[in-house]
Amino acid sequence: MTAIREALEPVAAALVRRARLDADAMIAAAGRDAERTLAEARRAVRHAVEEAGERGAAEGRAQARVARIRAGRRARAVELAARREVLAEMRERAVAAVTALRDDPCYPRLVERLTELARASGGADLTVREHPEGGIVAEGRGRRVDCSLPALAGRAVDALGAEAARLWAP
Amino acid sequence: MTVWAPVEYTGVAELRGPLVLVRGVRGVGWDEYATIELESGERRHGLVLETDRDLAVVQVFEGTAGLRAEGTRVTFAGGPLRVPVGAGWLGRVCDGRGRPLDGGPPVLGAADAAVNGFPLNPTRREPPSEPVLTGISAVDALTTLVRGQKLAVFSSGGLPHLELAAQIAAQADTGGTAFAVVFAAIGLTHADAASVRDTLEERLAAGESALLLNLADDPVIERVLTPRLALTVAEYLAFELERHVLVVLADMTSYCEALREVSSARGEIPARRAYPGYLYSDLASLYERCGRVTGLAGSVTVLPVLTMPAGDITHPVPDLTGYITEGQILLSRDVPVYPHVDPLSSLSRMMRAGAGPGRTRPEHLDLAAQILAALARARQAAELAELVGESALGAVDRRYLAMAEAFTNVLLAQRRDEARSLDETFERAWRVVSVLPRRELSMLSPAALDAGYRERT
Repeated sequence: MTAIREALEPVAAALVRRARLDADAMIAAAGRDAERTLAEARRAVRHAVEEAGERGAAEGRAQARVARIRAGRRARAVELAARREVLAEMRERAVAAVTALRDDPCYPRLVERLTELARASGGADLTVREHPEGGIVAEGRGRRVDCSLPALAGRAVDALGAEAARLWAP
Repeated sequence: MTVWAPVEYTGVAELRGPLVLVRGVRGVGWDEYATIELESGERRHGLVLETDRDLAVVQVFEGTAGLRAEGTRVTFAGGPLRVPVGAGWLGRVCDGRGRPLDGGPPVLGAADAAVNGFPLNPTRREPPSEPVLTGISAVDALTTLVRGQKLAVFSSGGLPHLELAAQIAAQADTGGTAFAVVFAAIGLTHADAASVRDTLEERLAAGESALLLNLADDPVIERVLTPRLALTVAEYLAFELERHVLVVLADMTSYCEALREVSSARGEIPARRAYPGYLYSDLASLYERCGRVTGLAGSVTVLPVLTMPAGDITHPVPDLTGYITEGQILLSRDVPVYPHVDPLSSLSRMMRAGAGPGRTRPEHLDLAAQILAALARARQAAELAELVGESALGAVDRRYLAMAEAFTNVLLAQRRDEARSLDETFERAWRVVSVLPRRELSMLSPAALDAGYRERT
C-alpha cells in the first residue's frame, strides 16, 4: 500500500498543484468578475443618479415654467381687466356728457337734426318720438332708427378705434 | 345707412335653429354682417346666409335660444364683417371672431379690414425666400419652411399634430428680424385649446403672438370666419407693420366640415363626400393670401394643419389642400418617436429658396438630399432584411440600417419643449450621415465632407 502511495505521490502532488492553480485562477477570475460587477453596479448607480438628477431638474424646470406662465397670465389678466374698466368708464363718462346736452340751449335744433338724420336713413314715413334720456327714436313698420343720446355716445366711443388705446398708452 | 343712424329691422318672421328670417329689409347683401339685439338689451351677431327681395336669412353665431320674434331687432352692417387691425392683436387671446377671451377690452386697431380679404395680386407677388426656422430638426433640416410659403402638415387622428403646431408657433423665428405668430385654433376641444394656450403663453406675454380660439362647441359659422380673421390680422402685421408673420391654422379639416355644414344650410348642391363644389377655390382663397409683396419687407407664411379622416390621403380635404400648398409635412404612426414626421413622404417644394449658402448652411441642400437618399436605401435594406434576416445582409446595408436608426434617435426624436438651434440640428445631421462609410456619401462635396464628416471608429 505504502509502495503504491509513494508511487502515486508525484501524481497526487501534481493534481493538488493543478487543483490549487485552478482554484487560484478561479479565485482570480471570481475577483475580476466581482470587480467588474461592482464597477458595472457603480456605473449603473452613477447613471441612475445622474438620470434621476436630470429628470428632477427637467421636472423642476417644467414646474418653474408652469408657475412662471401662471404668474405671467395672472399679471396680464389684471392689466387687461384694468384696461377694460378704463374703457368702460370712458364710455360712461361719454354717455353722461352727451345726455347733458339736453340742457343745452341748442338741444331743440339737435333733435330736429337727429329727426332728419333718422328719416334720411330709415325712410320719411317713420314716426318720431323723443327718447326719455334725450335724442329721438324713429319707428315705422318693421323698421326702427335709434338716435337716442346714449346710443349716439356709444357709437362715438366705438368709432374711436385705436385712439381709445391712448387711455393706457405709456 | 350711416354709422350714426343705422336702421334696425324689427320684422322677424321666423326663428329656426340658428337662423333668423327677417322681413322688410332693404339693400341687404349676401354675407353681410348683422347685429341682433334682444329685448333684454343682449347683443348677438350673425351673417346673412341668403337674401331674396325683402327677405334676409341670418345665421346667428350664438344661436337663437331665448330669442322672440317680437322685440328682436336686427341691424345690418352694410357689408361683410370688418375687424380692426394693427399691433393691438399681439399678446391677445380672442375667440374665433375676435372677441376677447383674456378679460381685456375689445381689440382696437388704427384701421379696419374686411375679414374675407383678397388673395395677393399675382403681379406684385414675390417668390418665397429665406427660411422660417421652426426649431424642429426634422423640419428645418429636411423640409425647410420658407417665408411666404404655404406648407401643410398632414396628420391622422391620435397623432400629436396640434402639439407640433403649437411647438412650432412657440419657437419659430426668422433670425433677428421682426417676427410674429398668429395661431388660429379651429374646432378644438377645451383641453386642447388650454394646452395650445399654455405652449404659446411666453410668446403671448412677449407681444409676439395672437391666439384665436374657436372651440368645438362654438358655432360653425364662426369656424368659417376664424382662418380668415387670422389671415386678415397677419396681412396687416406683415404688409403694414413689416413683420414676418407665421399663420398656423389648426385643424383645417374642422374648417372644411364647418363649410360643408354652412353650405348644406344654404341649400347648395353637394359635391364629393357632401363638401361643397367650391371647396378647392375656397381653400385657395385662404392659402393664396400668404406670400411676399414687391417692395414690402414683411411676409405671410401659412402652416395649415389637417387631419386626414381615417388616414385617407385621397380624402377631399388633404387632396385639394395638396394641390394648393407648396409641399407637406406628413406625420405617420409608423414613425415611433415625436414629432412622428415621415421624412420620405414629406417635402417642402420651396426649400431651395430658403436653404443653402447665405441662408442656412452652404451644404444644407446636399446634406438633406444625402440623408433622404440614404433613408430610401435603408428602407430597401430593411425590406430585404425582413426576407433574409439582418445577419444575411452585406456590411454596407447593415450600416444603412444603423444610419436609419441613428436618424430616428439622433435627428428626428425631439422633446416637446425642445427648441433646437440650426447649429445643433446640423451637428446632429452630420452625426447621422457619419454612421455611413465616407465613400457612400456621393452627394456631398469633398470640402463639406472634410468639414463635417466624422467617421465612427
